[in-house]
Amino acid sequence: MSFFSDERASELRELFFESATELLQNLNEEGLELEKHPGDPEIIRQVRRTVHTLKGDSAACGYQELSELAHQLEDVLTAEMAESANGSIADVVLIAADTFSSMLSAYRGNMQAPAGEELRQQIMSLAQKPVPTNGGNGGPYKLHARFAWSEYEHMVMEDALGRGETVFNIAFAFEQNCPMRGAAMQLVRNVLQECGRLLAIVPDQSTLTNDLDVVEAAIATAHDQEWIEKKCRIPSVVSSLLVEQCVFNGDGSDDVLDIVKHVTAELVEDVEPQIRAEEIIAPVAPPSTTPKNFQNGPGSGHPQNGAPAAATTQPSPKPPASVPAAAVPAEAQTGLSSIPETLLRVDAERIDAVLNLVGELIIGKSMMHQSVNEFDKRFPKDPLRMKFADAMAFQSRIINDLQKSVMKIRMVPVEQLFRRFPRVVRDVAKSCGKDVTLVMSGQDTDLDKSILDMLAEPLAHLVRNAVDHGIESAPERINGGKPAQGTVRLDAYHQGNQIVIEVADDGRGIDRDKLLRKAVEQGIIKAADAQSLSDSDASNLVFHPGLSTAEQVTAISGRGMGMDIVKTVLERLKGTVSIRTSPGKGTTFLLKVPLTLAIIKALLFRVGQRTYAVPLASVIEIARATPNDIHVVDHHDVLQLRHEILTLVHLSKIANQPAAGKRMFIVVISMGDRKFGLVVDRLVGEEELVIKALDDNLVATDLVSGASILGDGTVVLILNIASIISRMGRMHKMIGATA
Amino acid sequence: MSERVRVLVVDDSALMRKLISQILVRDSDIEVVGTAMDGAFGLKKIEELAPQVVTLDLEMPRMDGMETLRQITRRFRIPVIVVSAHTTDGASATFKALALGALDFVAKPRDAASAHMEEIAADLISKIKVAAKTRVGQSQVLPNEEPTRTANKPAYRPRQEPTKVVAVGVSTGGPMALQYMLSELPGDFPGSIVVVQHMPEGFTEMFARRLNECCAIDVKEAQSGDLLIAGRALICPGNRHMKVRRMPMGNIVVLSDDARVNGHRPSVDVLFRSVAAEFGSRGIGVLMTGMGDDGAFGLGLLKTAGALTIAQSEESCVVFGMPKAAIERGYAMRVVPLDMLSNTLTIQCSPERAARIAQV
Repeated sequence: MSFFSDERASELRELFFESATELLQNLNEEGLELEKHPGDPEIIRQVRRTVHTLKGDSAACGYQELSELAHQLEDVLTAEMAESANGSIADVVLIAADTFSSMLSAYRGNMQAPAGEELRQQIMSLAQKPVPTNGGNGGPYKLHARFAWSEYEHMVMEDALGRGETVFNIAFAFEQNCPMRGAAMQLVRNVLQECGRLLAIVPDQSTLTNDLDVVEAAIATAHDQEWIEKKCRIPSVVSSLLVEQCVFNGDGSDDVLDIVKHVTAELVEDVEPQIRAEEIIAPVAPPSTTPKNFQNGPGSGHPQNGAPAAATTQPSPKPPASVPAAAVPAEAQTGLSSIPETLLRVDAERIDAVLNLVGELIIGKSMMHQSVNEFDKRFPKDPLRMKFADAMAFQSRIINDLQKSVMKIRMVPVEQLFRRFPRVVRDVAKSCGKDVTLVMSGQDTDLDKSILDMLAEPLAHLVRNAVDHGIESAPERINGGKPAQGTVRLDAYHQGNQIVIEVADDGRGIDRDKLLRKAVEQGIIKAADAQSLSDSDASNLVFHPGLSTAEQVTAISGRGMGMDIVKTVLERLKGTVSIRTSPGKGTTFLLKVPLTLAIIKALLFRVGQRTYAVPLASVIEIARATPNDIHVVDHHDVLQLRHEILTLVHLSKIANQPAAGKRMFIVVISMGDRKFGLVVDRLVGEEELVIKALDDNLVATDLVSGASILGDGTVVLILNIASIISRMGRMHKMIGATA
Repeated sequence: MSERVRVLVVDDSALMRKLISQILVRDSDIEVVGTAMDGAFGLKKIEELAPQVVTLDLEMPRMDGMETLRQITRRFRIPVIVVSAHTTDGASATFKALALGALDFVAKPRDAASAHMEEIAADLISKIKVAAKTRVGQSQVLPNEEPTRTANKPAYRPRQEPTKVVAVGVSTGGPMALQYMLSELPGDFPGSIVVVQHMPEGFTEMFARRLNECCAIDVKEAQSGDLLIAGRALICPGNRHMKVRRMPMGNIVVLSDDARVNGHRPSVDVLFRSVAAEFGSRGIGVLMTGMGDDGAFGLGLLKTAGALTIAQSEESCVVFGMPKAAIERGYAMRVVPLDMLSNTLTIQCSPERAARIAQV
């Protein structure tokens, strides 16, 4: 029987994954921060708090493994340890973030979580500090016997000693593959009883379990140590043995309670300064301050921030542990008024629903607009006209604002995407032995959440590529007269209705010749064409699936598939990707994506009987032309526009529509850094289009990326420029082949 | 209760806020009026929403739990229930919070899918209901706000057979009441004390350590095999049962993992029963503040065995449940207010009186 209904439980789990992902991101950032400032107690406190929350959350959801690991990590992350340990904490924190993340994804897929053994060992190695006391028992044996006898057992042993008997502590470790631990245990007991009077044994029958490894016992005996050791080595049962004579301080005053007290005093000494160091944020005890000083004057030299718990067994006058009451409340008050809690978690679907309605409203608006226009024409003198016009203007302003506000809900700062890259750069740079810094700017540029999510993979690929291939090794850089440290730059900014994300490196640039050679080798282009390719066409070859200039495939990159992914995703987003590269100076990838996927500003035009649209953002200019202006060069129709030669695309050919009229319009489109002219019959105008996704079953072509409805009910097809251009290329190739 | 109890949940983990809210939603007498992600918001929401009870996480960014607690108890006087982590540090902070005026604490919910949750939920819900009836600053006998009095421990304590074995059972409201009672006992208190305090696993060690710091007698979390000696109190660890046993060379406590009794582990009844069986008239049973009736039956057994039985008086209890159950059944020979308990015990355990009873 579970406590919560399935629905509730899965809701909680969702929330857990969501917040855990956030926590891991924080952990990553804190780890990187810690790498820069090793041992900063404030950062360690943050890490600790993050791990603490993760621990609590995962425990609440019943994810034991994760919670336990987090707990272990939390325990070793003390301010004290921050001082003693070195940079390795940052590594452990980052490994932890990775381990936790793989555990999370295992949980998410309902799979067995990875054991996280590496992390556990790392934590252990952190936790291992020189322990001067009570570690001595183990000695040369692998056996760690504690001989933690209870008070009563102590008393019994003391009593035996008092009567002149010799007492031995004996520890057995069982052979790993020894079957039937219960029987083995009985064997051990029998041997012990042969050796002498059994005073104490752990475990006793009541706590015997099957996975028992070590038995500890105390006996009083007349035999000597050698005899006992011989007796206790039971072949094929006992793997290692520890026998030590037990001596209490002879004089009777050393009684148990004193030991107890001594131990607790030690504990207190041990624990208190640590706790205090955590409470008082900044100043750790000055080097001369030993724990003793702490004990004598608790917190004497420190600002009293928290109430120090009564620390010592020694009575000593303590200053009343009070708050610096004057300062804190005032601070708290200002904190209160300045930051209102305004965060809401809303299902993305609900926002989409609203967005959809707004889309409909916009269609409604243009319907209204058309009707008013008609009314205008029909009754140009009617005074009602003005009223309509006013109402229209008012309404459309509101609708515009409404649309913007709804769009804003979906907008998230690019930072959400960027923040994972410091870690990526660090890891890749480390694994290929380079020194690379990442510079980010424009993090607060807003972008539609769904676009942002889709960009994650391509961007990660580009960043990895930049570090792995773009940036040269340090000696190579120095030879080239560049600083040894490479730089990768991430930038985001607005450009009209688009967002541009740049991934730039100051590395070696793309080697045109090498790229062309590879492309020819793999039969992607013909050797004859190779030299005639423009620089940008040549660089664009990197997007060809399977083409990689890397000499070897590494874990990070080199399979040549990544760039294809980049291109595919960008096309799906109605965005573009282009490359700027200069040999020896570096490479820049420019990703351009629309602000949002749902509503675009578009240019509408007609070809034959149909209305089409292209995103306005990709339109550079519109020109007029007559058939006489068009020339044919290398099987391409081209138009000379001022000083440029423009390749033309006849939509009428693609759409199988008869070409009409003598005069035509050329819509100049930019695609990456190339330009094309779309030949269209008639321009309709500029309009905001609400994109309706097209069912793949309805439209079996990639030439159209979506459709929209105009105010008058006309259906507009939105052209997918990228595929039109590539289609055009193919058509020309075919023509070229037949000719 | 005609009105629903208005609760504010303050926790920095979104998951915990949701989880706690969902737990509380299941009880129709409780209404979660709001949640806050840190102390500063928490205080603001208290002003806005006027909750009757606040659940508080101690580990939070910005204004941490401790400071929040101080402000809540000072400015608003609303009962606070601390939701506490299962760590040594967590336990330590929890007791500090109790000293600062938090009414009670619950362990952080673990493993939402398991039956364990049922317990935690019941615990939380009942504590919230109790808290709603409590006015903070009510005329209970409570220790000073900063109860860290200097423990006047004797420099040397000889190991002595106790005159009496005092078994104490306590639940809700216990930590503070127990601290008050034990800290009033003299360093040379001649009895031996065994305590069952209903408390989750992982908190008792720190609790005992804290008590040890502010009491003249020694206080220790019990381990199996610990001796019953004069001037020492043994606190039963969470999630274990504790019994006493007479051994050839001395008397000890034994811990076990037996099944829950009265829904509790540790259970007061288990302890009382064993004290009655092993020590008879040498025992004293004290049943203090707490919900339910754990220990009432055991107190009856102690009475039958000839031991003195004491129940804490109603007006000094945070929750008058367990003592009431014992009193109603006629098992309590005396009803004593909290501030008189230590005196009563000191007198009852004095060697002269013990000797006199032994003669009778």
